[in-house]
Amino acid sequence: MAALWKTCQQCLRYRFSNVSIYTSITAVNVISKRNFKAHWVAPTLRELKRRKVIEDDLNGGPKIFHRSTFLEWNYDAEIFAFSNRLGEKFNDLSLRAALTHKSYIERETARLSDIGVESNLQFQDNEALSQKGGELLSKFTNGYLRAVFTQVPEELIRAMHDFLTSNPTLETVARHIGLGDLMLCADFPCKTETYVKSFKAIVAALAESSGEERARIFVQDLVVTQLYGQDVNELWNPVDPVGNLTAILKREGKAEPEFRLIRQAGSNSILGVYYVGLYSDKNFISEGAGESLEVAKEMAAREALKKFFRTEDSMRALPFGRQLKNIQSKIAQLENQPNIPLSEWISEKVMSAVH
Amino acid sequence: MSNSHMFLPSGFIRTPLQNGLGRYIPQLQRITLKFCKNHGGSRGVRDFIESDLMEFAKTNPGTVVYLKPRRHRSPCMVAEYLNGEREYLSCHEFSRDEVHKWLSYMCTRSGIPVMRFRKYQHTDYPTVQGVWNPFTHQAPEINIAEFPHEVLSRPLDHGPTATEQLIEIFKKTQIEDPANKPPN
Repeated sequence: MAALWKTCQQCLRYRFSNVSIYTSITAVNVISKRNFKAHWVAPTLRELKRRKVIEDDLNGGPKIFHRSTFLEWNYDAEIFAFSNRLGEKFNDLSLRAALTHKSYIERETARLSDIGVESNLQFQDNEALSQKGGELLSKFTNGYLRAVFTQVPEELIRAMHDFLTSNPTLETVARHIGLGDLMLCADFPCKTETYVKSFKAIVAALAESSGEERARIFVQDLVVTQLYGQDVNELWNPVDPVGNLTAILKREGKAEPEFRLIRQAGSNSILGVYYVGLYSDKNFISEGAGESLEVAKEMAAREALKKFFRTEDSMRALPFGRQLKNIQSKIAQLENQPNIPLSEWISEKVMSAVH
Repeated sequence: MSNSHMFLPSGFIRTPLQNGLGRYIPQLQRITLKFCKNHGGSRGVRDFIESDLMEFAKTNPGTVVYLKPRRHRSPCMVAEYLNGEREYLSCHEFSRDEVHKWLSYMCTRSGIPVMRFRKYQHTDYPTVQGVWNPFTHQAPEINIAEFPHEVLSRPLDHGPTATEQLIEIFKKTQIEDPANKPPN
């Protein structure tokens, strides 16, 4: 009974341990079957695990090995599978160049010259490709954002673009399409910058191999979809929403915004809530809630801006994938056409752009 | 069915990297089939390799297949997924069909570990109209109302009382033209 309780505790403890993306060779997930093991097997394994944990802690983490050090590894097959997995056709040379880093070439030439072999390696690195890929990535993301968020000022577009092309986002995308095993680089475990560089180079390689159209669709399918689940209003923080709102209303020729207290509860307690409504010439625009009057006022102004820019919680769902088929030409057109900046934004200017 | 006796972790259904939203990317990165060339326990795996493996490889070009013939070892397959997870399955004494079925099962998995799904749907946008709060649908008159209030203090589903109904009926009889009084 005591042994059973101990086993249960061990199981629960190991279940909550975090496993990194490149762990040591032992398999983590086992489709379990009925087994009959002798009474000494479990305690032995437990003791070995205990010792292994201690030694790993002394060495600063478990040993990790690159996938290419395994016996079952075929780089050509992996590259073939990579392009098929994504459903794209790559030029072999472009793809290999996109995955090769300068650090790898330097390391290899150094290694060969140490041995004494004359090194005239025909490797091409991905510096130029990643530069071009970065520009393409920016361009395609901006095109999509401007085509979908037609009413939104350029500042918010820039914030969303910065989020989508940020290092963490691109690294996640790069990891999850399998670039980690394919990259030829000197650092292991690979750094964020290496992943990002490879991904950008892949975009450029795709544009070279299959054309810019395919590269645009690729970016839309993989990078832009990371916007799903994000609240776009969290990405951008206007410093003075009340001031911005006043300026917009003034430009449109409407009356100054007037704030009125709509609801209030618990003003004497810590959980006090105030609802402030925003009116322009006695027309209701928006309301906001907050724990104090100032906060509620600011929230009302933010809600009003959201309403103008059509980025409320109830806004239309973002189109992805096949839903973009009809607006691809519009996206391509808007890639080089920034939206109106906040300092000039008025409703009439953006009305014409509504699709 | 309570969860307290289960070691299986539970969670909400999810997919890596919003797979399927843009394009569908098969999550199985590579599969390694290890088998013995002689032993009877590997017969199913060997038959599968001879007959069905090429077709499998053709229909799944995004997955690399590695074959490891190892003497005196029982057969197994190890599947590696794009998010870094691995799945191990022993194929000892499997038939050729079983190997095929388990292999196609591996193809349909993402690397996310097996877990009990709490719900079969998930959304990042649970509300469109906004979450209810006590102020939703409240008449604005409550702001300047003095309570107890004649109308607002009454329960919402409170119909007219019996007295009020009688008064209504009496008023109806009063309004009518005396010339057209209905016979009582």
